Amino acid sequence: MSTAIQKPPREARHGVSPMLVRLVTERATGALLRDRGTLYLCDGQVVHAESPAAPGIDVLLTAAGRLRPEGWQEAVDRAGPRGRVGRFLVESGQVGDGELEMCHLAALHDAAFFALAPTSGPTRFRYGVAHWMGPVRPVPAEAVEREAARRRELLEAIWRCPDLDTAPVVRSTRPPDAPLTPRQRAVLALADGVRTPLDIARLLGRPAFHTLVDMRRLAAFGAVESPRAPAPPPDTHAWAARMAAETTTPDVALLRRLRDALEATL
Amino acid sequence: MPGIDECLLEAMLLPGALGAGVADWTSGLALGAIGQAPGGDHEATAAETAELARTAAEHPGFGTHAEGAAGPAATGPPVEDLIITTRTAYHVLCFVETAFDSSVFLHLWLDREEGNLALARLRLRDLAERLVL
Repeated sequence: MSTAIQKPPREARHGVSPMLVRLVTERATGALLRDRGTLYLCDGQVVHAESPAAPGIDVLLTAAGRLRPEGWQEAVDRAGPRGRVGRFLVESGQVGDGELEMCHLAALHDAAFFALAPTSGPTRFRYGVAHWMGPVRPVPAEAVEREAARRRELLEAIWRCPDLDTAPVVRSTRPPDAPLTPRQRAVLALADGVRTPLDIARLLGRPAFHTLVDMRRLAAFGAVESPRAPAPPPDTHAWAARMAAETTTPDVALLRRLRDALEATL
Repeated sequence: MPGIDECLLEAMLLPGALGAGVADWTSGLALGAIGQAPGGDHEATAAETAELARTAAEHPGFGTHAEGAAGPAATGPPVEDLIITTRTAYHVLCFVETAFDSSVFLHLWLDREEGNLALARLRLRDLAERLVL
């Protein structure tokens, strides 16, 4: 009775990308590189993920003082070349198996959420590449992709404003509509109009997605400013038409982002 | 120092245990699961139960975090566990306290006829503590 979560794909819109399906079928080992992150596969299962948009497991373990930064560095130096940093941390008694698994799964799914974002550009796979972390608790690739899709839906269900994910967090001047939780207050205390949700996540040693969830809830309560009005349903033509009708001056920042995004895909 | 799988296997040794899981109450992530799931789907169970766990963990009426616990080292909600009794079963949700920032809980689904709620609650608390040893 294995505890690995196995299940057929749920719906077409959660569809596993064709490349990932093929890699799973051939039980591939290597790195799946995308615009916003990398998934590391071993025998077709996801063993690690990294994204510039998500704090790494080192941040999660060291930010709150669970692990000394020197302890982490020693593990990387000594066990990195053998690709066994995770095992080293456990065998040297610095973290327990359960802690490592919980922290690593949190970091893995956090990075995978960004790596598998639908806006990402080209996907490449480099065979044979292994991550120096080494296997901790491999996750079926289908489960990783299902989880990323579920997370996107969760954010949209809370408050539809994707710009909140990346914009500097601006506290609202009016009192929030609902009492804030201790975790939300910790997030809000670090909002200075400059830090982004990722900056705050790093400081708190929390997964980025967890901070995005708080950000959407805080925006829904009116505790932080939404960068602009909540986006309408993802009908881009209607949205563009409305923007064109509503704005007399061109949104230079938006146009720049659009241009950069277009150039990135060429 | 048991891992997630060892903890779940031990939870299943409890009399009347039908299924168990470890989930995250902020994201709804299923970190691990074993046995049956109430709706037949461990991932959906984790996501749905996470909502319930979050409501309890953050309910102001159940108390607040330790005073002055604004620092990132402060973990764990004021609630230790949550027990739901249905006509045929018990569900015990037990929060895991970690020395890093997290929002993890154990969920045990227990047959009401065969299960011993007091024993299950104590064993789950013990497992939650050993998970972070």
